[in-house]
Amino acid sequence: MPIFAVLLLAASAAAPAKTAPMPSPAAAAGVLEEVKKPGADAVVVNVWATWCTPCREEFPDLLHVARELAPKGLRLVLVSVDFPGNEYATQGFLTKQGVDFPTFIRTGKDETFVDELERQWSGAIPATFIYDANGKLVRFWEGKASYPVLKKRALEALALKEKP
Amino acid sequence: MNSKAILAVPVILALAGAAALAGGPLAIGGSIPMADTKMKGVDGKEVAIADVKQPGGTLVVFTCNHCPFAKAWETRIVELGNTYAAKGIGVIAVNANDPKVAEEDSFDVMQQRAKERGMKFPYVVDATSGVARAFGATKTPEAFLFDKDGKLVYHGAIDDSQDQGKVEAPYLKNALDSVVAGKEVAVKETKSIGCGIKFRS
Repeated sequence: MPIFAVLLLAASAAAPAKTAPMPSPAAAAGVLEEVKKPGADAVVVNVWATWCTPCREEFPDLLHVARELAPKGLRLVLVSVDFPGNEYATQGFLTKQGVDFPTFIRTGKDETFVDELERQWSGAIPATFIYDANGKLVRFWEGKASYPVLKKRALEALALKEKP
Repeated sequence: MNSKAILAVPVILALAGAAALAGGPLAIGGSIPMADTKMKGVDGKEVAIADVKQPGGTLVVFTCNHCPFAKAWETRIVELGNTYAAKGIGVIAVNANDPKVAEEDSFDVMQQRAKERGMKFPYVVDATSGVARAFGATKTPEAFLFDKDGKLVYHGAIDDSQDQGKVEAPYLKNALDSVVAGKEVAVKETKSIGCGIKFRS
C-alpha cells in the first residue's frame, strides 16, 4: 500500500492530470438508470469510441459544455463502445481529456444495447441523447455537433425544467 | 375551402416530419434506390447496382476500410459475398465515406483490401455519398438484401457479434439462405453499432 501511494504520487508529479476512473461496464439499462438518477435538470448521453474521429473531435466541446452547465444542473454521461479488452486505452483517452467523473463502457450484444437505449437510434456513432429532468428523451442525433450547437441544445433541455 | 386549408397543414407537417426522419432507412419491401448510378470499382471499371443485380437477389453492403466495426466483420462480409455470388445473388460492397475525413478510406486502400481479402465481387466508391443517402444507410457495416423481385427483404447487421466465435444469430446468412430458397426472410431488420458514415458534404 505505501509503495502504491508513492507510485501514485510519482505519477501525479509527472502528469498533473488525474487518472480518469476506469469506465464501468454497463448495459443500456445501466445507462438509463444513470440518466434517471435524481439531481440533474437535464442529462446528455454521448456514445463514443476512442478510434472514432468525429467522436474525438467533439469530445472537448462536450466536456466544455458539461463543465459550463453543470452548475445549472446538466449531467454528462459518457458511454464508450470500444471493444472488450480496450478498457485501458479508453481510460487513457479519458485521462488525457481531463475526465474526472465516472463513465461507462457498454456490455452485451450491440443490437440489444441499441434497441434498449433508444429505438430511433440506428447504432451509428457518435450519437447524442438529451433527456429532461424526468429522464424523458427530448432530443437525439447521430454525428458530431459543434460547441455552440451542443450548448444551445443542452440549454433548451435545461429550460424545460425552469418553465412553470 | 377553409377546412381544406386547415386540413392541409397537418398533412404538410406530417410530410415534413417524414422528411426530417429521412435519416430513416429504406423500408422493407422498398426497391433498390439509385440502381443505375455508376460507381468506380477497385478494378477501375464503373459499375452500377443494376449491373450486379442477379435473378436470385441482390446484396448491397455499405462498408469501408478504416472502421473497426467494418474491419471486425470484413472477412465475414467477403466470405458471405463470395459464397452467395456463386449461388446466384448479385453482390456489391459500397464505400460511401469521404476519404478527406477518414484517410484510410481512399481508393488505393480499397484496392489493397479487396485484393488481400480475395473479394470476388465489386467494391465501389459512392463518390457523392448519394447512394448511401438514398438507402438511408447510416453506418458501416450495414447490409441491404433484395429478393428476386428487387424488393428489400433484409436490412441491418451481418450477425450479432463482432467476435466471430460468439455469433449466435447469423442474420444476413439466414436471410441469404431464405432468398436463395425462395422463402420469406424471418428476421427482416436488425441493429448494430457501427461507425457513422462520413458523408461528403
